[in-house]
Amino acid sequence: MTVPKNQPSPRALAWRRRGAAFTAGWREFAKQRAGLVGLGLLAVIVLLAILAPVITDREGLDVTKATGDRMESPSWEFLLGTDRPGRSVLLLTLWSARISLTVGFVATLLSVAIGTIIGILAAHYGRWVSAGLMRITDFFLVLPSLVLAIALSTVLERGIGTIILAIGLTSWPSAARLVRAQTLTIEARPYIERARALGGGHFHVISKHVLPAVLPLVFVNTTLAVGSAIVAESTLSFLGLGDPDPMRPSWGSMLRSAWLDSAIIAGAWWYLLPPGIAIGIVVLAFTMCGRALESVLNPRLREG
Amino acid sequence: MSDILTPTEEALAEAPPPTRGGGALRYVLTKIGGGLVSFALVIVLGFLLFRALPGDVVATMFRGRPATPEMIANLKHQYGLDLPLWQQFVNYVGDLLRGDLGDSYVYRVPVWQKIEERFWPTVLLVGVSTLISVALGLWMGTRSGWRRGSRFDRISTGVALALWSTPTFWLGMLLLAATTGLFPTAGIVYSDTPPDFFSQALDIAHHMVLPTITMVAVTYAQYQLVMRSSLIEEMGADYLTTARAKGLRDDEVRRKHAVPNALLPTVTLVFLHLGFVIAGAISVETVFSWPGLGRLTYDALRVGDLPLLQGTFVVLAGAVIVMNVFADLLYRVLDPRVRAA
Amino acid sequence: MPLLELRDLSVRYRNRGVEAVRGVNLTLDAGETLGLAGESGCGKSTLAMSVLRLLPPNADISGEILLDGEDVTTMKWGRLRAVRWTSAAIVFQGAMHALNPVQRVRDQIAEPIELHSKTEYSASALRKRVHELLAQVELPAEKGDSYPHELSGGQKQRVMIAMALACEPRLVIADEPTTALDVIVQAQVLALMSDLVAEKDIGLVMISHDLAVLASTCERLAVMYQGSLVEEGLSAEVITNPQHTHTQTLAAAFPTVGDPGSRYAPATSTTLPDAVPAPGDELLRTSDLHVTFRTRGVTHAVAGVDLSVRRGEIVALVGQSGSGKTTLARTILGLQEPTSGQVTYDGKPVPRSTRGLKAYRRQVQLVLQDPTSALNPRHSVYESIAEGLRIHKVPGDEREHVAAALDAAELRPPQEFMPLLPHQLSGGQRQRVVIAGALALEPKLLVADEPVASLDASVRGEILALLLRLRANLGLAALVITHDLGLAWNIADRVAVMYQGELVEVGPVDEVLNDPKHDYTRSLLAALPTTQPKETDLASG
Repeated sequence: MTVPKNQPSPRALAWRRRGAAFTAGWREFAKQRAGLVGLGLLAVIVLLAILAPVITDREGLDVTKATGDRMESPSWEFLLGTDRPGRSVLLLTLWSARISLTVGFVATLLSVAIGTIIGILAAHYGRWVSAGLMRITDFFLVLPSLVLAIALSTVLERGIGTIILAIGLTSWPSAARLVRAQTLTIEARPYIERARALGGGHFHVISKHVLPAVLPLVFVNTTLAVGSAIVAESTLSFLGLGDPDPMRPSWGSMLRSAWLDSAIIAGAWWYLLPPGIAIGIVVLAFTMCGRALESVLNPRLREG
Repeated sequence: MSDILTPTEEALAEAPPPTRGGGALRYVLTKIGGGLVSFALVIVLGFLLFRALPGDVVATMFRGRPATPEMIANLKHQYGLDLPLWQQFVNYVGDLLRGDLGDSYVYRVPVWQKIEERFWPTVLLVGVSTLISVALGLWMGTRSGWRRGSRFDRISTGVALALWSTPTFWLGMLLLAATTGLFPTAGIVYSDTPPDFFSQALDIAHHMVLPTITMVAVTYAQYQLVMRSSLIEEMGADYLTTARAKGLRDDEVRRKHAVPNALLPTVTLVFLHLGFVIAGAISVETVFSWPGLGRLTYDALRVGDLPLLQGTFVVLAGAVIVMNVFADLLYRVLDPRVRAA
Repeated sequence: MPLLELRDLSVRYRNRGVEAVRGVNLTLDAGETLGLAGESGCGKSTLAMSVLRLLPPNADISGEILLDGEDVTTMKWGRLRAVRWTSAAIVFQGAMHALNPVQRVRDQIAEPIELHSKTEYSASALRKRVHELLAQVELPAEKGDSYPHELSGGQKQRVMIAMALACEPRLVIADEPTTALDVIVQAQVLALMSDLVAEKDIGLVMISHDLAVLASTCERLAVMYQGSLVEEGLSAEVITNPQHTHTQTLAAAFPTVGDPGSRYAPATSTTLPDAVPAPGDELLRTSDLHVTFRTRGVTHAVAGVDLSVRRGEIVALVGQSGSGKTTLARTILGLQEPTSGQVTYDGKPVPRSTRGLKAYRRQVQLVLQDPTSALNPRHSVYESIAEGLRIHKVPGDEREHVAAALDAAELRPPQEFMPLLPHQLSGGQRQRVVIAGALALEPKLLVADEPVASLDASVRGEILALLLRLRANLGLAALVITHDLGLAWNIADRVAVMYQGELVEVGPVDEVLNDPKHDYTRSLLAALPTTQPKETDLASG
């Protein structure tokens, strides 16, 4: 056989195939209005959070340098009013996005990484490994994760690291179960048998067949889980387990201050609403993106 | 045609899948055994978290308060923290087996007593709101899944997603702010309510309205979404075509065939998500000062009362494990396929 | 008035564009039996579903469907529901998912009776009626208390038939009623259906991809191709003297065992090797091989098998599902560890170490039943074929190896196939890719597990002819695992019949299939649905 020299290399072929798959997926995603809206919202919020130091002055977070009055209602100077020490609620909400999003992302990455590794191992290696890992997973799955996270962050020193660890270490089991189920489906496919018959070992099967098939699902799961992680962060901070430094606020710790400062009784809605709405919008945006991605992967869920 | 069936044929006919007798007891024992193992793990975890982690336990207790070295040594001795770890573990397990969870550092009473007094309010709140949200969620999920893409589906799924995205405690705070004066804002019963049963029940119900609404709003959405997608998964099933071919009306196909099958994964999830409900209970009880285990947890962590926190951890986790064993047993009743496996 | 009359029936799915059914005219009189044949996707199932208007909402029907003279397409919903199951009932492929998994079969059979009966049935009368129906399909009454998963495939199919007869319809439509069943069970179910239909004077429309099944059950045959009816007539005529080219392909695809014309000659338009090469010395041998599974009691999947394959020889391993033939194949490939006994290759025992096995697997390659699932849907043809080369780090230019393998599997020109993904190929092409993937490693032996079972009839012959050519050109030996005696007759030199983990009969194909010695081989042969009943009687007698 002679091969024409102008043919693309196998590597180029493989990349072209991946590119085509990505384009097809994107096209399917773009058909879903909710997913696009979610993606747009996220882009704006992440951009604002990143640009916060550029467009605003961090000094405004310093309690001692607060310029406003105590729980001032919205005005031209403070569009969303002020909190009890007189800081701008708008500024606080903006800066809180940084902490809340960081915790949400990093904690999710941690939990999804743990979940994926455990899920794949539990499905790929049968018998004892699987039974043991699933026993542990099921145990952590039914365990009330907030209680566990509370316990963890009570004992460890308070701070962002602890809160990330507390959320990441308690929320991986659902990802592990999902990945395991998907891996089992993939491993039951005859092409895995074919790869084994060709002489492929564990590493070959996992890296060439299982991981590429599981990763899209992991990605969807990550998208959906960031929302839960942000809610978990706000709950832990609300209960007083967040970072105690007032220069590093999060939406949860803002709500805690609002609650402790009796914003409800004072009728300071401007203190109460922005952080909660911010959480709601971000979580909803992640959920809408995740669900749109999910339906790209699973045509049966597609709205018809 | 029948003449091709040779005499040997009966013997050659495929064997049906094996059915096993006496599997029921074995199943129940396995599940209960699994539950016991999980409970043992909870106990070990409770120890590791509160005693063996690197953080200085006693320092946590003194958080924000000045303490002399003697005070710290005293406290360590009082709680047996100066013993070697294995010795502490043996004492801890031994005490637990006798039903002794230690003494609360703040309340100065046995932890067990404190938990007992807060247990029933939580059961009342979680029980009532779970019943309401399961009923609501399954009903809405069935309706929206069966008519996918309808206006009801779009609106109810949107509302469910929005509520699911909301932090429980914030929703509670909003409700409090919005209904100022209509409902009590804290506690379970006014101290001046007459002691007769009727007045007490009415007052408790009055106190329960807001916490229950908050809990239901956050939890029903999950059940709705799960029921919806599980019904959609079943929609393409062949046995539904069979049912339609038989001449069943659409709602009969749904009620008699689709829903019983779609319920199975939902039931599992309802119980698996109990941990999520407990999380909601902690927030709600904190916001509404409901005298339950959740509020007790919050109080314990606020003042660094580790023995109490350890106690609520073991009890809450244990309760969820018990409920899950119950779910496994219920599942066997619902799904005949599990009976054979 | 005919029982069922289709007038210029067309069905179009709005999301697909092409018509699934195009202008079909068909009549069926009371008590008549009609077979509807065609390959997957020809529109036969759409046609069946349209009779009771069971198509999804995105299907547009035009034309008329007259059931007892009444047009189904214009019926009101109430009337349609009353007609369903009472005028016409459907036997779905019950071995799959047509029964509700969480309801006792008794209740599923009783459901339409309660629904449609004019008079109120008492609980005991209903029970009695269900028992009658179960008795008709030769199932004991206590099976009514079973859930579907507790029944075997054949029993589930019987329940489907009992259910269809529940309201004493005048028309029964059977959609692939025996597809997932073994030959012997298939024969039983077909016999039962024929008897019941004849006894009760029911009109029957039976749908299948297998002409032989239809010809043995139905008086008339209709053949569908790409949505249109291309041929219709008496079964015997259509089979013996097919007019349309598509019917000819279908009829030729399933050979008559014993017919010398189809020995070493699968139906194909390509050229076959002229001579059958003589096999060489012994390549593979299993000695007293046992495989025992211990999950859920002890199963002796393979119970003492001695089998050999010589160089350049094609051996067919025949048996029903559950006979242990797939386990035997997996053990030969080293994918399953034997409990005792051993496999020797080229005179040396097959190693069990990871490294030794890897080297062995270059020599012995696997071809799986369903090429659609045997190829990773995300990998291009090139990657699938190069997979083995990369695992074994075969020296030389990878691209040339792949091109050569594609060429050997007759996918020409190779460059055009390399970048394609499996879903862009036809079923036959996919199986060729699987074969090319195996050939790339230049093996000495192919183990093929039901290599054509999931392919359409017209492709079957092409793949079998390819195996014959590979043997002639490359000296490749093959162990072909199949439930299909016709396949053995088409290509194999020797046949080994497996039953409950043991080989009950081994020998040259001509001897074993023309003059079977073992009862089991005889019953397998007898159960073959056949277009020419007399000839098979001769062959097996």
